[in-house]
Amino acid sequence: MRRPVPWAVGSVVALALALWPVLGAGAQVRRQVPPAAEEARQLFITGCSSCHGLDGRGTDRGPTLERSGAAAAFYYLSTGRMPLTADDQPKRKDPAYGPEQIELLTAYVASLGDGPPVPEVDPSTGSLQEGGVLFRAQCAACHSAAGIGGALSYGGYAPPLTEAEPEQIAAALRVGPGNMPLFGPESLDDEEVASIVRYVRYLQKAPTPGGGRLGGAGAIPEGFVAWVFGMGACLAATVWIGAKRAGRRRA
Amino acid sequence: MTPEPGRHARPSSRQAYLAIVAALSLSICAGLGLAVVYATGGQAQLEGVLLSVSLLGIGVGLVIWAQRFLPDDEAEEARKPLGSAPEDVAAFTAELERGEEAIGSRRLLVGLIMGGLGALGLALVFPIRSLGPRPGRGLFTTGMAPGRRLVTAEKEPVRPEDIPIDGVLTVWPEGHEDEADSSTLLIRVEDESLFTEPARLEWTVGPVVAYSKLCTHTGCPVGLYQAEEHLLLCPCHQSTFEVLAGARPVFGPATRALPQLPLGVDDEGFLVATGDFEGPVSAGFWDRDR
Amino acid sequence: MSDGEEAKEKRPSKIARTGSFVDDRLGLARVARTTLRKVFPDHWSFLLGEVALYSFVVLLLTGTYLTFFFKPSQAETTYEGSYEALRGVEMTRAYRSAVELSFDVRAGLVMRQMHHWAAVVFVAAMVVHLARVFFTGAFRRPRELNWIVGVTLLLLGIGNGFTGYSLLDDQLSGTGLRIAYSIVLSIPVVGTWITSLLFGGEFPGPDIIERFFVLHILVVPALIIGLLVLHLAMVVHQKHTQFRGPGRREDNVVGERIWPTYAVKASGLFFLTTGVLAALGGLAQINPIWIYGPFEPSEVSAASQPDWYVGWLEGALRAMPAWEVRAFGYELPNPFFAGVLLPGLTFGLLYAWPFLEARLTKDRDEHHLLDRPRDRPLRTALGVATLAFYAVLFLAGGSDVLSTEFGLSVNKVIWSIRISLFVVPIVAGLVAHRLCHDLASRDAEPPDDPSEPPSGGHSTDPASAAEEPEHDEGIQPISWPPPVTVSRTGHPPAHPLGS
Repeated sequence: MRRPVPWAVGSVVALALALWPVLGAGAQVRRQVPPAAEEARQLFITGCSSCHGLDGRGTDRGPTLERSGAAAAFYYLSTGRMPLTADDQPKRKDPAYGPEQIELLTAYVASLGDGPPVPEVDPSTGSLQEGGVLFRAQCAACHSAAGIGGALSYGGYAPPLTEAEPEQIAAALRVGPGNMPLFGPESLDDEEVASIVRYVRYLQKAPTPGGGRLGGAGAIPEGFVAWVFGMGACLAATVWIGAKRAGRRRA
Repeated sequence: MTPEPGRHARPSSRQAYLAIVAALSLSICAGLGLAVVYATGGQAQLEGVLLSVSLLGIGVGLVIWAQRFLPDDEAEEARKPLGSAPEDVAAFTAELERGEEAIGSRRLLVGLIMGGLGALGLALVFPIRSLGPRPGRGLFTTGMAPGRRLVTAEKEPVRPEDIPIDGVLTVWPEGHEDEADSSTLLIRVEDESLFTEPARLEWTVGPVVAYSKLCTHTGCPVGLYQAEEHLLLCPCHQSTFEVLAGARPVFGPATRALPQLPLGVDDEGFLVATGDFEGPVSAGFWDRDR
Repeated sequence: MSDGEEAKEKRPSKIARTGSFVDDRLGLARVARTTLRKVFPDHWSFLLGEVALYSFVVLLLTGTYLTFFFKPSQAETTYEGSYEALRGVEMTRAYRSAVELSFDVRAGLVMRQMHHWAAVVFVAAMVVHLARVFFTGAFRRPRELNWIVGVTLLLLGIGNGFTGYSLLDDQLSGTGLRIAYSIVLSIPVVGTWITSLLFGGEFPGPDIIERFFVLHILVVPALIIGLLVLHLAMVVHQKHTQFRGPGRREDNVVGERIWPTYAVKASGLFFLTTGVLAALGGLAQINPIWIYGPFEPSEVSAASQPDWYVGWLEGALRAMPAWEVRAFGYELPNPFFAGVLLPGLTFGLLYAWPFLEARLTKDRDEHHLLDRPRDRPLRTALGVATLAFYAVLFLAGGSDVLSTEFGLSVNKVIWSIRISLFVVPIVAGLVAHRLCHDLASRDAEPPDDPSEPPSGGHSTDPASAAEEPEHDEGIQPISWPPPVTVSRTGHPPAHPLGS
């Protein structure tokens, strides 16, 4: 999906920042800084630098952002995983920044190094069937075939994919956030990414022709239902049938 | 029957009768409804509910009928002794022995009959042998061989530089992509200096290392690669393997490392196997060490 | 004769005429009447076996239907039906026929789901029934043989459930099949041979689906049906056990005659059970194989669990520490302990229990009166402890799902389970033991008002029985202390309180 305006803003900011040393070289007077770039820097300093460093090269509390690129910044910020509010694995929550601020920060982080750009992805150009085949081959091992997520070691987890937006999915594939491996263009080309995105979006609202989905978690809720509802109802039936009335005559 | 007093007011017989009528009528309606739903294309939830109602209606009707309108007199039956009377047992034993004596008096014939039946029984077992091949060396070998290229599911060969850092790729030996025991994980770490014993450094190609994808516990594909921690996690029983240290197990029930595959590069720069895995892949078996 | 004369003569009904036809040739009138008059003690807990039986009937009926559509073939094909996400995808014929059943056969999905729900409820009902038999001591002489038949039925039910869901050749069941293969492989000396013969080679082999098909629709159902007939025949021949109560002794059966009431009630239970299964079949999605995808040996999904009745085995595999035995170039691989030894011990103990208990209590008398669980604190405690042990194993089987659901480290969950496997059964057993004693002593306490009979009991004095206030429906009150009866051997029975 295209978003021309934020790209324009981002490009201007990136250009401004790239030309900064040239523009400001040798001058002691107050420089004319485009307001968007300044705002982006301020956002970064306030929200990110304490862990990622003022120059984005990392501290002992957070990694360098040189290779993150716009894709990683967009992924982490738009899913609310960054800024971190706790020490464990970043988790999806409401984003701390609005869409415009995310654009600014994304561009700023992109300017810090040479990481991948936010991928443009149109799910409708992907193949649902191929997406399913690829998803089950590459993604289901961690995220489960139904996309409900899965456990990793030592408290980590692969998150459920129920709320993921198309660009977030594509960005995650290209960035390999956290424990997720990185899928570069040689392993998944753009068309395959679009297919996977299409399939993940399909899973989010997949039809359940058999009735209640039971959480998509397989045999565990199924066993629970079998015992509580199936066996429970049958037990109730046996108790009802076996109930005796008093005053029975001997015959 | 007159209503009986008690803590709970019980339905009168008229109410019970009406309840049965209602249940059975509901059942009939549900049955007809089911026919309609089916004829008009079917829908799983409606089919299930209507079938259920038609069955439950009959069930409820029958139970109320039995409880309210059928005799519920208590009856008694004597238990006869289960064992037979001694004289019956004696008579049976005597009868049996008489016949046994008649048959068994010809010792040689009895022996030969036993021998014949025994041999026949043995022979009948042999077709079981035709069910499958002898285990042989199949469990000890895979489709990997020196010089064989490693290809992806799309049957394309791989160059080590094509794998991104923190990337993982599943590959098979070229020409043997259908062999279930040959699936292999190619992993690229940040730098080759990270590898430690017991990983064989001579078997890596720079920062790219290859291990069997099949867990050494019960053979599930070890599909979870935790890139940050360089751990391979098997989703079946949570066996965990350290990629940097020869994929040795660090948690879970697996007792052996994932066998490493010796890697090389051919003339065109594609990754090849330079031999088979360092040991039998997948789950263990009795004589695996031989 | 003319019509008018026939009407006056009251011609025998069609049923009567058919009956005569059969009886003239087989002479069954006497046997038939005896059967109709047979007495069955009526307690709700005696109906649990019937729930299992009726679930099995549903399995047979729905299973026969499914057999007309399912193709047990591992040949490669592509799906071209109405489920869009799999159209054009390569898969085996077996998986394709399962997807077609679910989407392209009208009412096929309900049949498939009813079949699967019936299977899980079938095993659950057998377990509940087994528990009832265990906790009431109904397995004691002369019913040890029937106990053995029953445990075999449980084993066969679990086995057929496994082969059944493995037939579909989807990713989830294929993963389970690989695990089963590895477990069999771990058997010493013959493991590699058995797997090679069963699978026709190395995993997955070209034949396993067809072979499972034969086992699932022919061999095991035939065995189950045969054993069921034996099981029911023995119950009829030995007569059902009964709880203690007024007029109930070791040498009689008090209850309801089969005809008409018991038969109608039993039929009612049949319809109720099948109705419950039909509701589940339509309203609760089970085993959505189209989401799991066709089986690929190099792929796997997170959150892979088998059906509940295999869950304890799965849990044991996960909880087991990384032990294996290696000596002289041979090894006992790790899956052997959880996958072969544990089930072997489980079922071995189950089979042996009636004989073990008889030896431990030195009680070899015939018993037709049942214990209440509280009468046998030790047996009850052991049973509860065992159930608790397997409950913890079930939890272990879902360790990864538990971890993600509750935000825990799966490693810590496994460690907690390893500890719980020792602690929880002991605690549960002790609690059960305590509860038994408390309940039993409460029953034996004299009531506050000396003129009232003991709580929960009818007085055995016939004079006072007539004046007793009527009880509402509920479980038949049991007299306490139990009347002393004399067994066949002429000795009083062993003391009812265990230890």
